[in-house]
Amino acid sequence: MARPGNKIIQAKLVLLGDMGTGKTSIALRFVKGHFFPNQEPTIGAAFFTQILSLSEATVKFDIWDTAGQERYHSLAPMYYRGAAAAIVVYDISSVDTFVRAKKWVQELQTHGNQKSVMALVANKSDLEPKREVEAEVGEQFAQENGMFYMETSAKTAENINELFYEIAKRLARALPPKPTGMNLNSDIQDRGRNYFCCSA
Amino acid sequence: MLEHMLPLPLLQFQSFLTWDSLKMNMDMEVSTSFHDFLYRMRHPASLDLVRSIKSFIVSFSFHQPKPENDGKRVQDFFVSMEAAIRDHSLWTTASEEDIDCAMQGLEKYIMTKLFSRTFSASAEDAKIDNEISSKICLLQTFLKPEHLDIPPILQNEALWLLAEKELLKINAFKAPHEKLLSIMNCCRIINNLLLNAAMSEYVPAGADGFLPVLIYVTIKANPPKLHSNLKFIKLYTRQAKLISEAEYYFTNLVSAKTFIVDLNAKSLSMDEIKYKESMQAAKLTNKVTSELSSACQMSQQEKDDSSCSKKMHNKLDDTGVLQHGSNYPYMEAKSKELTVGDVDMLLSDYKDLVAKYTILCKAIGCLSTAEREPLLRHLEMQGPETLLNFTAPSDHHRHK
Repeated sequence: MARPGNKIIQAKLVLLGDMGTGKTSIALRFVKGHFFPNQEPTIGAAFFTQILSLSEATVKFDIWDTAGQERYHSLAPMYYRGAAAAIVVYDISSVDTFVRAKKWVQELQTHGNQKSVMALVANKSDLEPKREVEAEVGEQFAQENGMFYMETSAKTAENINELFYEIAKRLARALPPKPTGMNLNSDIQDRGRNYFCCSA
Repeated sequence: MLEHMLPLPLLQFQSFLTWDSLKMNMDMEVSTSFHDFLYRMRHPASLDLVRSIKSFIVSFSFHQPKPENDGKRVQDFFVSMEAAIRDHSLWTTASEEDIDCAMQGLEKYIMTKLFSRTFSASAEDAKIDNEISSKICLLQTFLKPEHLDIPPILQNEALWLLAEKELLKINAFKAPHEKLLSIMNCCRIINNLLLNAAMSEYVPAGADGFLPVLIYVTIKANPPKLHSNLKFIKLYTRQAKLISEAEYYFTNLVSAKTFIVDLNAKSLSMDEIKYKESMQAAKLTNKVTSELSSACQMSQQEKDDSSCSKKMHNKLDDTGVLQHGSNYPYMEAKSKELTVGDVDMLLSDYKDLVAKYTILCKAIGCLSTAEREPLLRHLEMQGPETLLNFTAPSDHHRHK
């Protein structure tokens, strides 16, 4: 629901995390949770689109899910290349998934898009009794790596909207407004480039 | 067709139907846009556009082929032509879709004209294509869905076959967007398979399931010139079209290709020794096939077509061919002596041979490595004639 005069941001968002951490469930919660007239979200098995309207901008998310199995780890750069935002997910009830998440964060720091908005997400907060990774540990790691931290539950929907609103806000802040006098119908052309690409 | 006879659950059948009608619409769009493009180009008013297109195509022959430069030149031309079309009198009342159709037609026209220069143009590309294809041939002989941990609920032979057929079309088209469409269609089938599975199991689908299935389907299909096709799509599809969902699926196929190229024992849920043995055995089987083919002066191309690209199990059904001609009257013939009238006979002999090789390979595949190696070594020492005698009259392997 683009408001007139509002800038439109096309943002590729990539989901990284071990198998079973709930990457896909997080995306599904967000994508299925909002319905705007005339703007059908794409709900595929591994690719999703959704639109968020803020007062300062309208963000059109292209959400790319990635395979979390270790054997596909080396393929990840193909997916996060050109991403405006990345969500690294782990499961609070499994310290192994946190170790994997740290690996991804470090990889993104060295090979990813330096300007991208990064979120460290501690999922399955509904499994508090089985918690293996303390919130402070995750939070501190996120801080050290210049990313924001959020505990979510895809199951109860806790913090899912907040997560995507926060990413959208940061994207809007990071991006200078588009040149004025732009033809709004040229949307199709704009979408051709990942928006950080300087050739755009 | 096979998939129509299989008792698919209702849910899957429904989504299969919608997918099919969707695909038909898309196919129709492709052809109408191209015909519309040609139609408008015949209009006197579009003479200036026709001139620029022709001079662009001619100007291409002035330079040495170089994929990156060629890609950039074509992309720049698309951008300038889009601007020209938007300003053109023939398109004054055109909608965004009309412009898009025109551009699609233009892309198809240009890339069909420049195809031989731009597609798989370097020896390096051809080499990579062959390496990937040969590796897939080896993997096909032993790889099972379990080796990629594909859960049983996603193991749907009928839908996989459908996805394979779509993927195989990648090499049948010349226009980049049509090649891309065959990837999209293949991925959409897998997508539907996952969504249906998610509905019945109450678990989300996701890339964790998608990528392994795509890799497996790619291995089963062994699409010809995979590397060249992907490179061609990347360089020559209009940039505005390789975005969003299309870009996601495209990236997945590139990543499946990379996985296959780098694949080793550690990439699979499989014992390392077992992997090495299976690869070794597959190589031996393929070697026998190629020796047999060289013995009968079959070209490399024919060999690839008969033993690899097509499914072995399909070929096995053609046992009827075996009933004819177990001797080969053309073995001593010189090419000068042959007449057009010999073509029928040669063709039927050729088919006969292919069927026999396939059965032989299959039979050898059934043996354990320990049984196989001494046998193969023995056969190799005897030379090609013995191999022929071994396969031709014996019914032994057919009943195996």
